[in-house]
Amino acid sequence: MSASRDIVEAAAVPAGAAAASAHPPRWRAGWLNSSRGLGLILLMPALVLVVLFFLMPVVLTGVFAFTNMSTATGISGGTYQVTPGALRELADRHGMDELAEKLGQPSFVVDEQGLKALEEMGIEPAIIADLREGHLGETHASRREFERMLRDLPERPDTRTVKRISGEFSRSLANSRFSSRESLLAAAEGVDPELTEEEKTALVQATYTGWVWTADNFRRMASSRDTVRILLNTIFFVATTLIIFNTAFAMLLAITTHYIPERPAGIFRIIWFLPRISPAVIYVLLWKWFAWDTGFLSAFLDNFGIRPRNWMLDTAANAWFFVIVINGFVGASMGMVIFSSAIKAIPESLFHAASVDGAYRWQQVRHIILPQLKWPILFVTCYQTLSLLTSIEQTLLATDGGPGGATEIWSLAIYHTALNNYAGNLQYGYGAAMALVLVVIGIVLSLIYLRVFNYRALVAKPRIEL
Amino acid sequence: MTKHLLRSTVAAVALASSATYALAEDVTIRVWAGGSSPNDVYRVDAIDIAADLLEREAAVRGEELNITVEKKVDNTWDDFKQAVTLAAEAGNVPHILVTGHEDIGPWSQSGLIVPIEDYVNLDAWPINDIYENLLEVASYGGVVYGLPQDAEARPFFFWKEYMRKIGYTDADLDGLADKVQSGEYTLANVLEDAKKMVDQGVVPAGYGFYPRPNNGPDYWQFYTSFGGVMEEDGKLVLDKAAMQRFYQFFVDAVAAGVTRKNHIGTPNDQWWAEVASGKAGIWHGGTWHYARYTNQEGLKDFFGSISFSLIPAGEGGKANTLTHPLVYVLTKQDNEDEVAIAAELVKIASEPRINTLHAIKSAHLGITKQQSNIDLYSNDRWAREATERLLPHANAMPNNAEFGTYWNAMWAGLEASWTGQKTPEQAVQDLEAELKNSLGEGIVIR
Repeated sequence: MSASRDIVEAAAVPAGAAAASAHPPRWRAGWLNSSRGLGLILLMPALVLVVLFFLMPVVLTGVFAFTNMSTATGISGGTYQVTPGALRELADRHGMDELAEKLGQPSFVVDEQGLKALEEMGIEPAIIADLREGHLGETHASRREFERMLRDLPERPDTRTVKRISGEFSRSLANSRFSSRESLLAAAEGVDPELTEEEKTALVQATYTGWVWTADNFRRMASSRDTVRILLNTIFFVATTLIIFNTAFAMLLAITTHYIPERPAGIFRIIWFLPRISPAVIYVLLWKWFAWDTGFLSAFLDNFGIRPRNWMLDTAANAWFFVIVINGFVGASMGMVIFSSAIKAIPESLFHAASVDGAYRWQQVRHIILPQLKWPILFVTCYQTLSLLTSIEQTLLATDGGPGGATEIWSLAIYHTALNNYAGNLQYGYGAAMALVLVVIGIVLSLIYLRVFNYRALVAKPRIEL
Repeated sequence: MTKHLLRSTVAAVALASSATYALAEDVTIRVWAGGSSPNDVYRVDAIDIAADLLEREAAVRGEELNITVEKKVDNTWDDFKQAVTLAAEAGNVPHILVTGHEDIGPWSQSGLIVPIEDYVNLDAWPINDIYENLLEVASYGGVVYGLPQDAEARPFFFWKEYMRKIGYTDADLDGLADKVQSGEYTLANVLEDAKKMVDQGVVPAGYGFYPRPNNGPDYWQFYTSFGGVMEEDGKLVLDKAAMQRFYQFFVDAVAAGVTRKNHIGTPNDQWWAEVASGKAGIWHGGTWHYARYTNQEGLKDFFGSISFSLIPAGEGGKANTLTHPLVYVLTKQDNEDEVAIAAELVKIASEPRINTLHAIKSAHLGITKQQSNIDLYSNDRWAREATERLLPHANAMPNNAEFGTYWNAMWAGLEASWTGQKTPEQAVQDLEAELKNSLGEGIVIR
């Protein structure tokens, strides 16, 4: 590798020098001629993809995690809305009952100020005259009542005109929406000119509908009882699936297919590869048909007098069994392929020599195969830990965390928090905080693995000739 | 008043005046409905009919208005709400949504939807004929955000043949609904009767009481049955004792062998097929299930096979049912003209005659008083009886931006106690801790 680069550089330098001496320098060609520049260009698409699909999501997760974003707050920023809830907060939390009362009492007052505004807007003079003569000084408690009065005027203004007029006579802020802090405060000062700074701050805080920066998500996570349960579920899920299926079972498949003739071995490998290449929905659906109370298993066991039941969700243990098997069968195929190819890379002669020495199959496995497979095992363990930590689709489709949250794993809990709510309020902020924890766990685990398996030794020269 | 209102009205006026002079206007209005089965197509088809009427009205005035309605129906709720919220963030949410009223809280706060009262005259036909309490359900903080699309109620069902087998006479069955309403027949009796059915081998174990197999508003009815209150003076309320009695009821049902421990997660199709074919003794569902039972599931004689009543009272509460009206809401759009047209369409779609098409096809209840004067509605025995027996006792869930958080936590607690992961006491303690943690002052705990 390094030798070939030397050659490229050695070739590039004289060519560039020659060009420079003969003609004015052509920077473009120079760029392409240096292997570093060319490499950068060739890497560009990959870099863009990495930034777009790996770095950005992680960075955004980090940003979202420190906000209280939800459907109710929106992502793109908020407005200031004087809802009854905001007024109650003003009264309850800040003790400003009087201010809340003043701002929130819906009232429509027919006064000169409003009439003048109507004149400026070019409302029909007859309507204004009617209002001035018949209704000046009247106060209406609700918009609907006020608009009814407007509609009963002899001119019978249409709906659009009524809405325009009623806007001009509203003398309260109840349920109104402001796009900026300034317009809110200006309107509030219109109602109560003597607002103190403290009152202004409280008002802005209580009426803001957008998201704010907060570390509350982590406090909430730390003090929630569900956190520990979900964390333990996740550790159990990852460890069991990883040990039983992704490494041990994968190794078993790789070794057994190593010792059988090539053709049947290939067929077996393809069969074990099916769970990975079939679409997750169909794969899990097959399991469901197998395990549901009207499914194959129940129908079969019914012959022996066992009551049909939903085997997948019957008990927590059942659910775990299916979740681990469903995920494990998918994961085993990857280990199988990697281990098989690693075993193939071991020189035949070693096996022949061992056979000549009278070594049993088990001794061959113990003393030839396993020692050579240290690095593939490290790779599979690392890679599968991380992918199991974030795996979601099979579990979501199979048990959706049931029964009773027994198989709720971290990634699924993130999905349920951030993207799933029956009442239409998705909690992006809290979900992102949970996802951030997963990112941190992933990074920490990777570092530990590298340390335990001694990464330096891994990249050192291989000890067998390949 | 506000800039927003001003802008919207100015735009509306501009639309009204410009429409008069415009030669032809082509508008595309998109409408999405959530949680809708094939029986519910009139949720979006009504907008089609309304568009036709609005075009004709415009033509009569000498204008040319061409409205294309793009319709999309989603079978589930979770996916629909996810799609809507994400579409809103991406800036291409459809003009009209048909959704549960409980979304009005968070969605109005985020500015995703705009008040319909800014665009229509609430005192005009047909809005002035809509039941007041339904309009209230479509409001948030005193502002009318949407128009009710349908109403329903959620009854208890009893399979008559099995009730007879455990000793009920026909006269008893006829009087059952009244006994439930007066509080004489309670949830404790439900467990008793369900147990008799299982013990006598009338139904298989686990099929005595066969409730809804997944999360839904239905479960708040049981909380209410045991004396719980969801909201008071605009604040959410957790009544711990009522919540625990409600959880305990399902734990008792499992312990008695009348309800399956692993019932949650049973596919809906299986549930409908089983209850409509007489596999279960007692269950609960929605008024619209009538359409499912009699159409897709082939139940021939509904009234001969099934009795229905309110959800019976539990200890400390009274018999009740829950109505979960769907509402038409208008989303915020850059083009105010389109919102104004969408508002007109929603208004026309609420005409009693058009709404009756939906009500009868999907076995929902009507939204306007005049529907009882429309033959299609009044000649339908189910619509008539269900309206009389259930609707006067119906509660609705609160429109509160935080309600979804409360709901998720309530369901998690129920699921955990039902499946034996936690005791009801433990589940309520955890629920309390979780709600204090996530809602803080937003919920009153007692």
